[in-house]
Amino acid sequence: MTASFFAVLPSPRQVSPLNLSRLALTTLETLDAENGLSSVAFETTNDTAWNELQVALSASLPSNVIYNLTAYDISSGGLQNLYAVSRSISNAQSLGIDSNAASYMVASSNVTFTVTPQKIGVTLYILNCSDSSGWWITGYTVQSIAQQLAGIFASYFEPSSIVMVQNTTQLGQLLNGQPLGNETLQNAIIINTCGEPVPIPQSYATLYSNDYPHYCYQLGNCTELYNWTWVSIVGYPFYYVTNTLALSGNQNGWGIYGITAINPNGLNAFLEGIDGQPYNNNGNWITDSPGVVTLTSTALANCSYYGIFPSPIQTSTRALPESVTAQYNLSIATNILNPTGGAIPGAVLNHIFKGAPDVTGSLFAVGLTRVPDTRLTALGILSDYNPALYKSEYTAAGTSKLVVLQLGLAGG
Amino acid sequence: MAGATIDHLIALTVFLAALLLFIGFFNQMNQTAILYQYHSYIATECSNVLDSIMLNPGTPSDWGVSGSSTQNLTFFGLQDPEFQEYRMSPFSAMRLVSIANQVYYSQTGQWYNDLSWGLNGAYLLLPASDCISYHDATSLLGINGTYDFQLSITPTLAVNVTQIPGNDLQLEIQVYGSGFPLSNATLDYLMFWANTSSSGFPKLNSNFTSDINQTDSAGIAFKEFPSLSSNTTFTFIVKAFEGGLNGIGYLSRETVTDAGNIIPYIQSFDNGTANMVLAQKYGNNDPPTSIGNLYYNASFYALPNTFVPVFGENFAGELNYGSGTPYQNLTVTTNNQTGFLVIAYGDGSNYGTVIAPFGLNSLGLPVTFGSNVSGKEWVATDLRQVIIGDIAYQAKLSLWSLTGYQVTG
Repeated sequence: MTASFFAVLPSPRQVSPLNLSRLALTTLETLDAENGLSSVAFETTNDTAWNELQVALSASLPSNVIYNLTAYDISSGGLQNLYAVSRSISNAQSLGIDSNAASYMVASSNVTFTVTPQKIGVTLYILNCSDSSGWWITGYTVQSIAQQLAGIFASYFEPSSIVMVQNTTQLGQLLNGQPLGNETLQNAIIINTCGEPVPIPQSYATLYSNDYPHYCYQLGNCTELYNWTWVSIVGYPFYYVTNTLALSGNQNGWGIYGITAINPNGLNAFLEGIDGQPYNNNGNWITDSPGVVTLTSTALANCSYYGIFPSPIQTSTRALPESVTAQYNLSIATNILNPTGGAIPGAVLNHIFKGAPDVTGSLFAVGLTRVPDTRLTALGILSDYNPALYKSEYTAAGTSKLVVLQLGLAGG
Repeated sequence: MAGATIDHLIALTVFLAALLLFIGFFNQMNQTAILYQYHSYIATECSNVLDSIMLNPGTPSDWGVSGSSTQNLTFFGLQDPEFQEYRMSPFSAMRLVSIANQVYYSQTGQWYNDLSWGLNGAYLLLPASDCISYHDATSLLGINGTYDFQLSITPTLAVNVTQIPGNDLQLEIQVYGSGFPLSNATLDYLMFWANTSSSGFPKLNSNFTSDINQTDSAGIAFKEFPSLSSNTTFTFIVKAFEGGLNGIGYLSRETVTDAGNIIPYIQSFDNGTANMVLAQKYGNNDPPTSIGNLYYNASFYALPNTFVPVFGENFAGELNYGSGTPYQNLTVTTNNQTGFLVIAYGDGSNYGTVIAPFGLNSLGLPVTFGSNVSGKEWVATDLRQVIIGDIAYQAKLSLWSLTGYQVTG
């Protein structure tokens, strides 16, 4: 009898408890579903907001549940006093001996979590030539594509390293080895925003008026000489040359003036130029048409990392053949689209002379059908250079508060 | 010597009696402890089952928007597949077979799950074959034959709308939570009303306002429409919010005209399309064959969390039970968005409105799913706050054992 008298059995509430911890957590989540709790937690002097919070809290909890909600400041100092009470509301003086709590981290609505990319240490030239026309950029203009690319790359390059080449005269200046400002010409990236045509300066149009592919050979030479990465955003690279003044009387066969077709000769000439081979005006069609192609696993991973999300499935009708790698000393540095059937639909190809240690020029040809997706271009360049992203600290002082909701049952 | 023997016998008897008494008490204490442990286990199981339902979308996860998937479920859960934590799918929740009852419509030959039959003028009737039964749910949860439960999903805020007598159309809106009125809650509303027209078809008008109306300390607010008479037929939807808590209420003036009234059935709700049946009725019954033409004008609106309705489609037509058109089929493109179909109908002189929600949260409807809790020996309950759309709900699970007093598991 004595033993049974002194035996301590749990109280009925302990036997079949309401899961107060979960109730507290779900209550906090509900109140913060539209960031209401987050904003109130930072308005510690706003009595109206806290009164509304208390009304909402009382309305959402069963009438026999007593509560204490406390917001804590998080200090950035040492371990001592890491959390300091900011403001508290309660509907009872004491929660009794049997209560449970849930904590919830809220962030200030004023906080912007910045991501700072590592800068790519080369110059980015975007051909924004006002005296050139585009083809296979249907729905866009040369200028709109240039603006898009400048926007995408703005955080990945130093501002002074993104240079808009405003006309073909400036392009000619680059081809003559002269920077447009203080930027570094060597190792630069040049993005041709015209699509299949490549802008040709007037002087070169005059010089090569009887043999425009020779101009592409010159481009290949310069790419090798200055270790440029030449980027073709869509279609058959170097299929046309464009200059709205020098070629004003010509059209591309589809009614777009200022463009002259040079056919596959342009690409062949460029490849000869980058490899230092003798110029041979070669009109052989070399690209393949593999059809549906997919992003590589590396590219997909970089989509998430850089927050650029083009469609993972694309259509390729102008893919470089794998044979160019052996023929022109090119090696695949970064595949954006999975090679298929002997075709390379989208890859950065580095030119390396046999036995040489260094890269001497690169070609990034996106051999997809129109219209171009600038995100793919950006993804390719970012995948090739792999700039790191440095993200801001989430728990920076003053940007977060800890909200604790402690619940108990009336009657202890 | 004899005295010593007697003493010995008495002592032994007392000792044995004390021993038996002690064993009895000890046994009783053990029984109590085992019972406590058993009850504690049921409470834990209740919490686990509730979390299992709320934190899992089920498999396939899109079963809420695909009626055909309902019968192919391999796991049961109500979480919104597009979110995490305690956010429930508004469409999965409306496929729970109501504990209330089912209704039969002879013209289509189907039974419909009755989540709302004319409650304040709202109808949420889904074919029972496209809903999940309680038996299937317990089987998919792996507790069939072991535990029974009842799941109640009710809005945290009760928002009641009533019409006040007077010359103008005046409405009283009452907002309260779990026993507490929600004072100073902000109210937004959507108002639809029907006008007569010479063609007999009702003309459906609307007015959407982000109002500055606020409830008073008793959780009550009033809204007057001076331009509308008290006889105007209308559908009024109001959203109340305060301190991060949202609730929704409505009132639709359903009337039975001389040509009857309309009851909207959802015939199927699959992959962004809702096939509706608008049935001509006379009250709850089939009308007489001599009944006249009933004209209707219906509009579908998607209702996003912003509470700014997005107009979808309009439908107009007429019904005549005796002339071979007891109902009309409508195909509503919902694009898997929550929303509602508001239907104005009339016989040319009298008009009424009803509303059919798509998604449980569109009108803040409750649902009770499962077995009957009354008379059970020991029932454990647990509670979670959940969000459907942006409307706050409470999910309460009551669970009891079917295996007697043994501790299982």
